[in-house]
Amino acid sequence: MTGSVLWALAWRPFLDPIDAHGWWFLLVVPMSFGIAVVYRAARMQTLEGYWRRVLVLTAQIVVSMVLLGIASYVFVQVVVPALAPMPD
Amino acid sequence: MPTTADTPQRFDALAAILALAFPGAGHWFLGERKRAGLICAGVLGLFLTGLLVGGIDVVDSKEDRWWFVGQALVGPVAFGTDYVHQNRIKGIDPRTGALRSANPDETRDGTGRLMPALGGQRPPATKSLGKMNELGTLFACIAGMMNLIVVLDAAFPGRREERA
Repeated sequence: MTGSVLWALAWRPFLDPIDAHGWWFLLVVPMSFGIAVVYRAARMQTLEGYWRRVLVLTAQIVVSMVLLGIASYVFVQVVVPALAPMPD
Repeated sequence: MPTTADTPQRFDALAAILALAFPGAGHWFLGERKRAGLICAGVLGLFLTGLLVGGIDVVDSKEDRWWFVGQALVGPVAFGTDYVHQNRIKGIDPRTGALRSANPDETRDGTGRLMPALGGQRPPATKSLGKMNELGTLFACIAGMMNLIVVLDAAFPGRREERA
Protein backbone atom coordinates (compact mmCIF):
# COMPACT_ATOMS: atom_id res chain seq x y z
CA MET A 1 0.00 0.00 0.00
CA THR A 2 1.19 3.51 -0.72
CA GLY A 3 1.87 6.03 2.00
CA SER A 4 -1.22 8.09 1.20
CA VAL A 5 -3.49 5.04 1.47
CA LEU A 6 -1.95 4.11 4.81
CA TRP A 7 -2.39 7.69 5.97
CA ALA A 8 -6.06 7.71 4.93
CA LEU A 9 -6.71 4.48 6.82
CA ALA A 10 -5.08 5.86 9.96
CA TRP A 11 -6.74 9.28 9.75
CA ARG A 12 -9.21 10.09 12.52
CA PRO A 13 -11.62 12.88 11.45
CA PHE A 14 -11.66 15.92 13.75
CA LEU A 15 -8.70 14.53 15.72
CA ASP A 16 -5.99 14.47 13.06
CA PRO A 17 -5.34 17.22 10.49
CA ILE A 18 -5.92 16.39 6.83
CA ASP A 19 -2.97 16.05 4.50
CA ALA A 20 -3.68 18.98 2.19
CA HIS A 21 -0.20 20.47 2.08
CA GLY A 22 -0.17 20.14 -1.72
CA TRP A 23 -3.55 21.78 -2.35
CA TRP A 24 -4.18 23.95 0.70
CA PHE A 25 -4.90 27.01 -1.46
CA LEU A 26 -8.07 25.32 -2.82
CA LEU A 27 -9.57 25.59 0.66
CA VAL A 28 -10.26 29.26 -0.12
CA VAL A 29 -13.29 28.03 -2.11
CA PRO A 30 -15.20 26.32 0.76
CA MET A 31 -14.14 29.14 3.06
CA SER A 32 -15.56 31.77 0.69
CA PHE A 33 -18.70 29.70 0.17
CA GLY A 34 -19.29 29.44 3.94
CA ILE A 35 -18.80 33.18 4.37
CA ALA A 36 -21.22 33.89 1.51
CA VAL A 37 -23.88 31.49 2.86
CA VAL A 38 -23.91 33.19 6.27
CA TYR A 39 -23.53 36.77 5.05
CA ARG A 40 -26.27 36.57 2.45
CA ALA A 41 -28.60 34.74 4.87
CA ALA A 42 -28.12 37.45 7.47
CA ARG A 43 -28.17 40.51 5.26
CA MET A 44 -30.68 39.92 2.44
CA GLN A 45 -34.09 41.36 3.17
CA THR A 46 -35.82 38.48 1.39
CA LEU A 47 -34.25 35.18 0.38
CA GLU A 48 -35.37 35.52 -3.22
CA GLY A 49 -32.46 34.63 -5.53
CA TYR A 50 -30.42 33.59 -2.50
CA TRP A 51 -28.26 30.85 -4.03
CA ARG A 52 -27.42 32.86 -7.13
CA ARG A 53 -26.18 35.71 -4.95
CA VAL A 54 -24.29 33.29 -2.71
CA LEU A 55 -22.43 31.96 -5.75
CA VAL A 56 -21.72 35.49 -7.00
CA LEU A 57 -20.29 36.53 -3.61
CA THR A 58 -18.24 33.31 -3.42
CA ALA A 59 -16.77 34.06 -6.85
CA GLN A 60 -16.10 37.67 -5.86
CA ILE A 61 -14.18 36.61 -2.74
CA VAL A 62 -12.15 33.95 -4.58
CA VAL A 63 -11.26 36.30 -7.46
CA SER A 64 -10.36 39.05 -4.97
CA MET A 65 -8.07 36.70 -3.08
CA VAL A 66 -6.37 35.59 -6.30
CA LEU A 67 -5.88 39.22 -7.36
CA LEU A 68 -4.49 40.09 -3.92
CA GLY A 69 -2.10 37.15 -4.21
CA ILE A 70 -0.94 38.33 -7.64
CA ALA A 71 -0.53 41.90 -6.35
CA SER A 72 1.52 40.67 -3.37
CA TYR A 73 3.70 38.57 -5.68
CA VAL A 74 4.33 41.51 -8.03
CA PHE A 75 5.09 43.81 -5.10
CA VAL A 76 7.60 41.43 -3.50
CA GLN A 77 9.19 40.08 -6.68
CA VAL A 78 9.17 43.18 -8.92
CA VAL A 79 8.47 46.43 -7.07
CA VAL A 80 10.67 45.90 -4.01
CA PRO A 81 13.74 44.71 -6.02
CA ALA A 82 13.25 47.72 -8.33
CA LEU A 83 13.11 50.13 -5.40
CA ALA A 84 15.94 48.55 -3.42
CA PRO A 85 18.15 46.40 -5.68
CA MET A 86 20.29 43.81 -3.96
CA PRO A 87 24.01 44.58 -4.20
CA ASP A 88 25.95 42.23 -6.50
CA MET B 1 -41.78 47.55 1.06
CA PRO B 2 -40.07 49.67 3.72
CA THR B 3 -36.51 50.72 3.02
CA THR B 4 -33.64 50.58 5.47
CA ALA B 5 -33.87 54.33 6.05
CA ASP B 6 -37.52 54.42 7.14
CA THR B 7 -37.57 51.12 9.08
CA PRO B 8 -37.91 51.89 12.78
CA GLN B 9 -34.98 50.68 14.85
CA ARG B 10 -35.76 47.99 17.39
CA PHE B 11 -33.54 45.95 19.65
CA ASP B 12 -34.32 42.34 20.47
CA ALA B 13 -32.08 41.23 23.35
CA LEU B 14 -33.53 37.73 23.62
CA ALA B 15 -32.94 37.04 19.92
CA ALA B 16 -29.34 38.22 20.33
CA ILE B 17 -28.78 35.96 23.34
CA LEU B 18 -30.29 32.99 21.51
CA ALA B 19 -28.13 33.72 18.45
CA LEU B 20 -25.07 33.63 20.71
CA ALA B 21 -26.26 30.43 22.38
CA PHE B 22 -26.57 28.54 19.10
CA PRO B 23 -26.02 29.74 15.52
CA GLY B 24 -29.37 30.49 13.90
CA ALA B 25 -31.43 30.22 17.11
CA GLY B 26 -32.01 33.98 17.19
CA HIS B 27 -33.57 34.03 13.73
CA TRP B 28 -35.55 30.88 14.55
CA PHE B 29 -36.99 32.76 17.54
CA LEU B 30 -37.87 35.68 15.25
CA GLY B 31 -39.86 33.29 13.05
CA GLU B 32 -37.37 33.23 10.16
CA ARG B 33 -36.93 29.48 10.02
CA LYS B 34 -35.35 29.18 6.58
CA ARG B 35 -32.88 31.97 7.31
CA ALA B 36 -32.05 30.29 10.64
CA GLY B 37 -31.31 26.99 8.91
CA LEU B 38 -29.01 28.63 6.38
CA ILE B 39 -27.17 30.53 9.13
CA CYS B 40 -26.80 27.40 11.25
CA ALA B 41 -25.49 25.39 8.30
CA GLY B 42 -23.07 28.16 7.32
CA VAL B 43 -21.61 28.92 10.74
CA LEU B 44 -21.38 25.31 11.91
CA GLY B 45 -20.16 24.30 8.45
CA LEU B 46 -17.25 26.74 8.69
CA PHE B 47 -16.47 25.70 12.27
CA LEU B 48 -16.59 21.95 11.56
CA THR B 49 -14.58 22.37 8.36
CA GLY B 50 -11.92 24.05 10.50
CA LEU B 51 -11.91 21.06 12.84
CA LEU B 52 -11.79 18.69 9.88
CA VAL B 53 -8.85 20.52 8.27
CA GLY B 54 -6.69 21.06 11.35
CA GLY B 55 -8.11 18.61 13.87
CA ILE B 56 -9.34 19.54 17.33
CA ASP B 57 -5.95 21.18 17.96
CA VAL B 58 -7.18 24.35 16.19
CA VAL B 59 -9.54 25.20 19.09
CA ASP B 60 -7.29 25.84 22.06
CA SER B 61 -8.04 28.58 24.60
CA LYS B 62 -4.71 28.04 26.34
CA GLU B 63 -2.20 27.98 23.47
CA ASP B 64 -4.10 30.11 20.91
CA ARG B 65 -5.90 32.52 23.21
CA TRP B 66 -6.47 35.36 20.73
CA TRP B 67 -7.72 33.05 18.01
CA PHE B 68 -10.05 31.50 20.56
CA VAL B 69 -11.56 34.93 21.27
CA GLY B 70 -12.84 34.95 17.69
CA GLN B 71 -13.82 31.28 17.76
CA ALA B 72 -15.74 31.76 21.02
CA LEU B 73 -18.29 33.89 19.14
CA VAL B 74 -19.69 30.63 17.73
CA GLY B 75 -21.03 30.12 21.26
CA PRO B 76 -21.18 27.09 23.56
CA VAL B 77 -20.20 24.82 20.68
CA ALA B 78 -16.73 26.42 20.68
CA PHE B 79 -16.46 26.29 24.47
CA GLY B 80 -17.54 22.64 24.46
CA THR B 81 -14.94 21.80 21.82
CA ASP B 82 -12.27 23.57 23.85
CA TYR B 83 -13.38 21.75 27.00
CA VAL B 84 -13.02 18.38 25.27
CA HIS B 85 -9.62 19.42 23.93
CA GLN B 86 -8.32 20.54 27.32
CA ASN B 87 -9.81 17.70 29.40
CA ARG B 88 -10.09 14.68 27.12
CA ILE B 89 -7.34 15.16 24.54
CA LYS B 90 -4.47 16.90 26.29
CA GLY B 91 -2.62 15.07 29.02
CA ILE B 92 -0.55 15.81 32.11
CA ASP B 93 3.18 15.87 31.56
CA PRO B 94 4.65 13.36 34.10
CA ARG B 95 7.74 15.51 34.68
CA THR B 96 6.31 19.02 34.96
CA GLY B 97 2.66 18.30 35.81
CA ALA B 98 1.61 20.76 33.10
CA LEU B 99 -1.22 20.10 30.65
CA ARG B 100 0.00 19.65 27.08
CA SER B 101 -0.67 17.85 23.81
CA ALA B 102 0.78 14.38 23.49
CA ASN B 103 3.86 13.90 21.31
CA PRO B 104 3.58 11.43 18.41
CA ASP B 105 5.26 8.71 20.50
CA GLU B 106 3.05 9.24 23.57
CA THR B 107 -0.46 8.29 24.60
CA ARG B 108 -2.79 9.19 27.46
CA ASP B 109 -3.66 6.75 30.25
CA GLY B 110 -6.98 6.53 32.11
CA THR B 111 -5.95 9.13 34.68
CA GLY B 112 -5.02 11.70 32.04
CA ARG B 113 -1.25 11.34 32.38
CA LEU B 114 0.91 11.14 29.29
CA MET B 115 2.99 7.99 28.91
CA PRO B 116 5.13 6.38 26.19
CA ALA B 117 2.98 4.67 23.56
CA LEU B 118 3.30 0.92 23.29
CA GLY B 119 2.87 -0.98 20.03
CA GLY B 120 -0.23 0.16 18.16
CA GLN B 121 -1.07 2.94 20.61
CA ARG B 122 -1.46 6.48 19.32
CA PRO B 123 -1.80 9.93 20.88
CA PRO B 124 -5.43 11.01 21.52
CA ALA B 125 -5.10 13.55 18.69
CA THR B 126 -2.41 14.73 16.32
CA LYS B 127 -1.13 18.27 16.78
CA SER B 128 -1.57 20.11 13.49
CA LEU B 129 1.29 22.15 12.11
CA GLY B 130 1.92 24.65 9.34
CA LYS B 131 -0.76 25.43 6.78
CA MET B 132 -3.26 22.89 8.16
CA ASN B 133 -3.15 24.50 11.59
CA GLU B 134 -3.34 28.01 10.14
CA LEU B 135 -6.27 27.23 7.86
CA GLY B 136 -8.19 25.19 10.42
CA THR B 137 -7.78 27.95 12.99
CA LEU B 138 -8.84 30.55 10.43
CA PHE B 139 -11.96 28.58 9.39
CA ALA B 140 -13.09 28.28 13.03
CA CYS B 141 -12.33 31.95 13.74
CA ILE B 142 -14.20 33.13 10.64
CA ALA B 143 -17.18 31.04 11.81
CA GLY B 144 -17.16 33.09 15.03
CA MET B 145 -16.81 36.40 13.20
CA MET B 146 -19.69 35.53 10.88
CA ASN B 147 -21.81 34.58 13.89
CA LEU B 148 -21.13 38.07 15.29
CA ILE B 149 -22.78 39.51 12.17
CA VAL B 150 -25.66 37.09 12.74
CA VAL B 151 -26.02 38.14 16.39
CA LEU B 152 -26.13 41.82 15.38
CA ASP B 153 -28.70 41.04 12.69
CA ALA B 154 -30.86 39.15 15.19
CA ALA B 155 -30.53 42.00 17.70
CA PHE B 156 -31.43 44.72 15.17
CA PRO B 157 -33.63 42.95 12.60
CA GLY B 158 -34.87 46.25 11.12
CA ARG B 159 -31.41 47.20 9.88
CA ARG B 160 -31.27 44.57 7.12
CA GLU B 161 -30.18 46.03 3.80
CA GLU B 162 -32.64 46.51 0.93
CA ARG B 163 -30.23 45.32 -1.78
CA ALA B 164 -27.38 43.19 -0.47
